[in-house]
Amino acid sequence: MAFLNGIIYDSVYHAVPILLCVLGGIFAYKANVLNIALEGMMLAGSFFSVLVSFQTGNIVLGYLAAIGVCMVIGLIFAFFGVSCKGNVIIIGLAINMSVTAIAGFVLQLMNSANIKLDFTNAADFKIHIPVIEKIPIYGSIISGHTVITYISFVCIVLIWFLMYRTKFGIYVRVVGENEDSAKSLGLNTNKYRYLAVLLGSFFCALAGINLALERMTIFTNNMTAGRGFIAIAAIYCGRGDPIFSSMYAVIFGLARALSVNLSLHAGAAAAVFDVIPYVVMTVVLTVVSIVKYRNHKVRGV
Amino acid sequence: MKKSKASYIGPKILNTLLPVGLAFFIGGIIILCIGENPVEAYSMMLGKSLFTARGFLNTLHYASPLLLTGLAIAITFKANIFNMGVEGQLLFGGFFAGIAGASLNLSSSVMEKGICMAIGMACGVLFALVPAILRAYFHVDEMVVTLMLNYAMIKVLEYLSSGPFREAGSGYVCTPTINESAMFKRLGIDNSRLTMFFFLALAVLIVMTFIFMKTKLGMQITAIGKNPDFAEATGMRVRRKIILLMCISGALAGLAGSGQMMSEKFKYTLTFSGTTGLGWDGMLIALLGRHNPIGILLAAIFFSALKTGADNINMYTSVPKEIVGVLQSLIILFLAVQFLDERYGLKERIQKWIGRKEVA
Repeated sequence: MAFLNGIIYDSVYHAVPILLCVLGGIFAYKANVLNIALEGMMLAGSFFSVLVSFQTGNIVLGYLAAIGVCMVIGLIFAFFGVSCKGNVIIIGLAINMSVTAIAGFVLQLMNSANIKLDFTNAADFKIHIPVIEKIPIYGSIISGHTVITYISFVCIVLIWFLMYRTKFGIYVRVVGENEDSAKSLGLNTNKYRYLAVLLGSFFCALAGINLALERMTIFTNNMTAGRGFIAIAAIYCGRGDPIFSSMYAVIFGLARALSVNLSLHAGAAAAVFDVIPYVVMTVVLTVVSIVKYRNHKVRGV
Repeated sequence: MKKSKASYIGPKILNTLLPVGLAFFIGGIIILCIGENPVEAYSMMLGKSLFTARGFLNTLHYASPLLLTGLAIAITFKANIFNMGVEGQLLFGGFFAGIAGASLNLSSSVMEKGICMAIGMACGVLFALVPAILRAYFHVDEMVVTLMLNYAMIKVLEYLSSGPFREAGSGYVCTPTINESAMFKRLGIDNSRLTMFFFLALAVLIVMTFIFMKTKLGMQITAIGKNPDFAEATGMRVRRKIILLMCISGALAGLAGSGQMMSEKFKYTLTFSGTTGLGWDGMLIALLGRHNPIGILLAAIFFSALKTGADNINMYTSVPKEIVGVLQSLIILFLAVQFLDERYGLKERIQKWIGRKEVA
């Protein structure tokens, strides 16, 4: 039972950063600016939230700094990708690399391999809901998580509403599906692309804060370990639909939880279990693609 | 009006040099911020590695795997395919080339080297085949798959090098050192590290240039990059071409990895491919070299000079050598954007500009 509870709790725990990235990436995906920089923005969120909290001793400032920096990165991405019409994939990868490099640079200046906050610890961030906590299984799903965890699950519904029931969502989708008709309607297409990217960077900041500050109060370089790319895979699988894409994010959370929990019992071969999330994602992506193109009889790629 | 090809070169070169200049400028500001002199730091970085004979030969030595990874990425970019798994393919190839080099014991040193490199290339191809087949037959986005599988590969190799293949007596995680007969010996010119591997890489570059400029395959790949639907309609087998191209790219990455193993590292450690990773450096080189063989050669030498220079900067100033990573990513960022429109030649542009001034 404890093992099962562990897996369920960890699934929620590991799904959250991916889920937030998915929610952030969806609008950019729908607006036809594929945001590969999710990974880098998330790392920036982790880095600056912990760095600023460490320097000032104030956690709220850390939250604000992370969101601010991610917004600036989002602006840079949008400026180069939308206004200057550069190749968004290369820009995204460049941003991923630059965040890693800058974090490494600063860590080297501080002469340490990681930044650890000593005035607070991860247990302080967890919210225990009194009665529900005691119920088996449900308790581990609902209770004992951080604030951003709860926010992220509420956001699935909010994002769905924003995308399908508001003017903004419809305009973003029009811009992505057919730019010319959007222009003929007099829409400022660049504005909607900017907003889509910026919304994404806001959610990535939250993902980064959750990953580093809330869960462990520690930052090590490259701690995002490809979660941003997993999120992009989830977006592809769900074809940009908030509910479906979030579902895939939770599946990947489950895969990660399995890999973590199984590797506790694996001994020397523990490292091999780390591969599970990446392999699961590749398989899911393939299956979704096969289903999508099952009746596709046209020759070609 | 028909224009000669030469008139396009001006803006092309400017479009390549401007991002480098901008990146160095921003890097300079960062160096200023931590209280060092940027001019001094840059001259220390490039002076020794480009303008002394021994330093330059060392630069060439470190440029050899970069040449191959740059080429591996450039050829896939040409067909509008994104093989971002060069890093993983390189590590995989390098690892097993190292294992082969340590366990084989052949009398002929040439044959042993050949076998090691063949194994490295085969591993690279094998790893590139997965995303290639998924892309060609199941429409799976190859970029996402390769990006993900890199992480999986790093984890697997971490396990293999700390578990089954670990060198028993060593204090840190590494595989056994390869045999002497599998090593590329230093040529000993000016006491530098230069080995035959550089010339091998150069030869591969020339052969690949010939293939991509002059043969049917090269033309077809360029056509696929420009418009895959049209290529398919004219009867090219686009799927097979994509798989072939990914295999070539994987083989080049594997060769780069085995070369790194046999000429520089001699055993697999967790920092086998350096801080930014040779595969990622390859992306910078492909972009900076504009997918052009001479460009790739120059870009590889330039970037290798930066990297070797970074060790100097670390030694003599308080600037961390991670500054190279910052410069690298900034250059890539600026290279993604075209600053000048390349449709007009530089000469016409200046004439136009002067003409406008005279009117005003």
